[in-house]
Amino acid sequence: MSSPDISQASNDTGTGPRLTQVFLNSRREAIVIFGSWFVALCWAVPYCYINGYGHLVDPETMSTTMGIPTWLFGGILLPWIIADLFTTWVCFFFMKDDKLGAAGDEETHAEPVAVTGAEGGAA
Amino acid sequence: MNGLQTNLLAAADSGTAVLWTFLIYMVGVFTIAGLSNRLLKNRDFLSEYFLGSRGLGVWAFALTLAATSSSGGSFMGFPSKIYTHGWSLGLWIGSYMVVPICVMGLLGKRINEVARTAQAITIPDVLRDRFRSISFGLISVSLIVFFMTFNLIAQFKGGSTILKTLLGPIDAFTSSAASLPDWIGNMCSQGNEYLVCLVVFGVAVIVYTTYGGFHAVVWTDVMQGVVMVIGVVIMLPLAINQAGAVAATDKGAGLEQVTRAMARMVPPRKGTASITAAKAGTDVTVPSGSWIFVGEGDEQRLFKIKNRYDLTASESRFEAAEIWEIVTPADVEQVRRRLESGSEPSNVTGQINLEIEELKDYAYGAKPEQAGSYVTGPGPSREKADGFLPLSLAISFFFMWAISGTGQPSNMVRLMAFNNTITLRRSIFTVAMYYSAIYFPLVIIFCCARVLMPGMESEPDRIMPQMAVELTSNIGMGWLAGLLIAAPFAAVMSTVDSFLLMISSALVRDIYQRNINPDAEEKKIKTLSYVITMVAGLGALFGAMNPPEFLQDIIVYTGSGLAACFLAAVVYALYWPRSNAQGCIAAMVSGFAAHLSLYLIGFFQGNGFSPYRPLSMDPIIIGLVTSFVVGWVVTILTPPPPRDLVEKYFHDAS
Repeated sequence: MSSPDISQASNDTGTGPRLTQVFLNSRREAIVIFGSWFVALCWAVPYCYINGYGHLVDPETMSTTMGIPTWLFGGILLPWIIADLFTTWVCFFFMKDDKLGAAGDEETHAEPVAVTGAEGGAA
Repeated sequence: MNGLQTNLLAAADSGTAVLWTFLIYMVGVFTIAGLSNRLLKNRDFLSEYFLGSRGLGVWAFALTLAATSSSGGSFMGFPSKIYTHGWSLGLWIGSYMVVPICVMGLLGKRINEVARTAQAITIPDVLRDRFRSISFGLISVSLIVFFMTFNLIAQFKGGSTILKTLLGPIDAFTSSAASLPDWIGNMCSQGNEYLVCLVVFGVAVIVYTTYGGFHAVVWTDVMQGVVMVIGVVIMLPLAINQAGAVAATDKGAGLEQVTRAMARMVPPRKGTASITAAKAGTDVTVPSGSWIFVGEGDEQRLFKIKNRYDLTASESRFEAAEIWEIVTPADVEQVRRRLESGSEPSNVTGQINLEIEELKDYAYGAKPEQAGSYVTGPGPSREKADGFLPLSLAISFFFMWAISGTGQPSNMVRLMAFNNTITLRRSIFTVAMYYSAIYFPLVIIFCCARVLMPGMESEPDRIMPQMAVELTSNIGMGWLAGLLIAAPFAAVMSTVDSFLLMISSALVRDIYQRNINPDAEEKKIKTLSYVITMVAGLGALFGAMNPPEFLQDIIVYTGSGLAACFLAAVVYALYWPRSNAQGCIAAMVSGFAAHLSLYLIGFFQGNGFSPYRPLSMDPIIIGLVTSFVVGWVVTILTPPPPRDLVEKYFHDAS
């Protein structure tokens, strides 16, 4: 979302001021995360609509998986499990650790401020 | 006092234990507040009081965010919706699979960095400094105070309702509530017991929030978050086991039979009737929630009378009493069993006459071609002919939870408080696991409630505490109800304290310190922070004495409204170097106007608090799209921001 007015802000030119690493990493991660929301939307809603909406149900023969209506299992519970796996990957293998700067009013922590890569060595 | 609770809890001899559980819980809350107050010493007061000195670690950050998001809506409104509409609530809540990663991951790292760069303590602080615009700060403060006040009142009502259920069976409570002078009771439209609970809940939350500040809120959130997940984990197997036994057939028991029993269910009919005593001239008390069988043999019908009526010689007839007819044969049998066992409190069959005035089927779900509506989409609905969750609304709710959650200032301010990016990553993972353990299990638990406790459609907001009492009493551990009921109570409390602090930070920091008296001494700021927090809380408490009716609707309105105002403005501020004050203010104001106008149109169309939905789209989508588009257009039509601002927030200092 850059514009010509501030084009020299781009890191690609190598001539202007450099965008902060936090900004670049945050933007990259936000795009992937927003994509995951979009994929979840595109899977869950159509799947549930096609398989679970407006069907006449025979209580004796209706399809269930682990006691849950199958349309809901396939449309929500299964992707929920996959989403948890994806979240795990993002948290421990994709997101970078960055210096966030100092405001001067921070609590002193025992936990060191991270400057290295993500857990799992992806950085 | 609700008769069902009395009966069950007295049978289990658990009233005292429930009270003890609650008292221990409150002692824990106040201990945390006391410890938090000690942290205020020797630190920058405002930063510590409103932002915890940006020092939150994994557990504190993860659970405060999770607990704050899980408001009274999650443990009161959501269960009542599951009970009323069945399995389709699984899709309604489905986007929670990506809520943690969206809410924390989309903005977290960047907003934390910008807040540190700006030395900002609040969201209006961030916006004001990011664009060097006083008016932007004031507009955002106004919107936060507007929406948060609405929401606080609804949350206070939720907290009081839960506490009323908890304390209801205790004699000392009911007698002290009954002994309140009339002039005090007349101040509240909800009755004396509600008023006492409102004062107890309100004073407790106001005191610990005022005294302890942000750290008290965060650490009580942690405790409350743990209570919530324990509550769900205990309830899940009990619910499946007990409802499965009720629904058991020769093909087995368990959740599968619960689902098949739900597939046979037909929504109840709601209507009105006139009530008279069966024997003229006799006094008859009809407790709220009483059951009555009308007719004989195969023609016999079962009705529930929602409210209490006292028939006397002078007042021998009541018109337009709200009634619900249970039409599913298995549900009728379950009610009959519960009446025989004493689980249901009152059967007034033979004591009164019921003359039915009007009975209406659900608009969706009652017709034969809609059979099985509790186990399929769009789910039964009493008002809407296209069902509870038509396709367009299902899409809207995918926006609502994940995207709207990202746009909540109460979440954003927490994103400003974590200490480093390791904490952020681990917290996203923790909240993802936490939500997985809560939300889908809640759907299962309250689908089971449909089988276990038929007829709760008349007062669905009470299903959570009723279910807690039912499940624990059935296993002879009524005292455990105290812990389970503490879960929704904790949910409300953790939301109320956060919102309370947001309002006071907006007034103290963003209005007073930054606009009226920038050189105010810390002692004065401190006193003002305490006073404003207390006054804001008391204001909400008084507002909740005569609360609006629709708890969940108000929570949805304020949540979606805040997102429509703040999300586009904050996203542009964080990720678009070209963004300027004009564009972001336009995004905020246009989002607010678009969202509000749909509610106003709905109101003037006679839909009450239900908004107008063009193309069946929820106002959140219209509000967000309007906000993003208007913000973008205004930005490119107005001059770019000052270069030094862009360099400060986007470029390396070197």
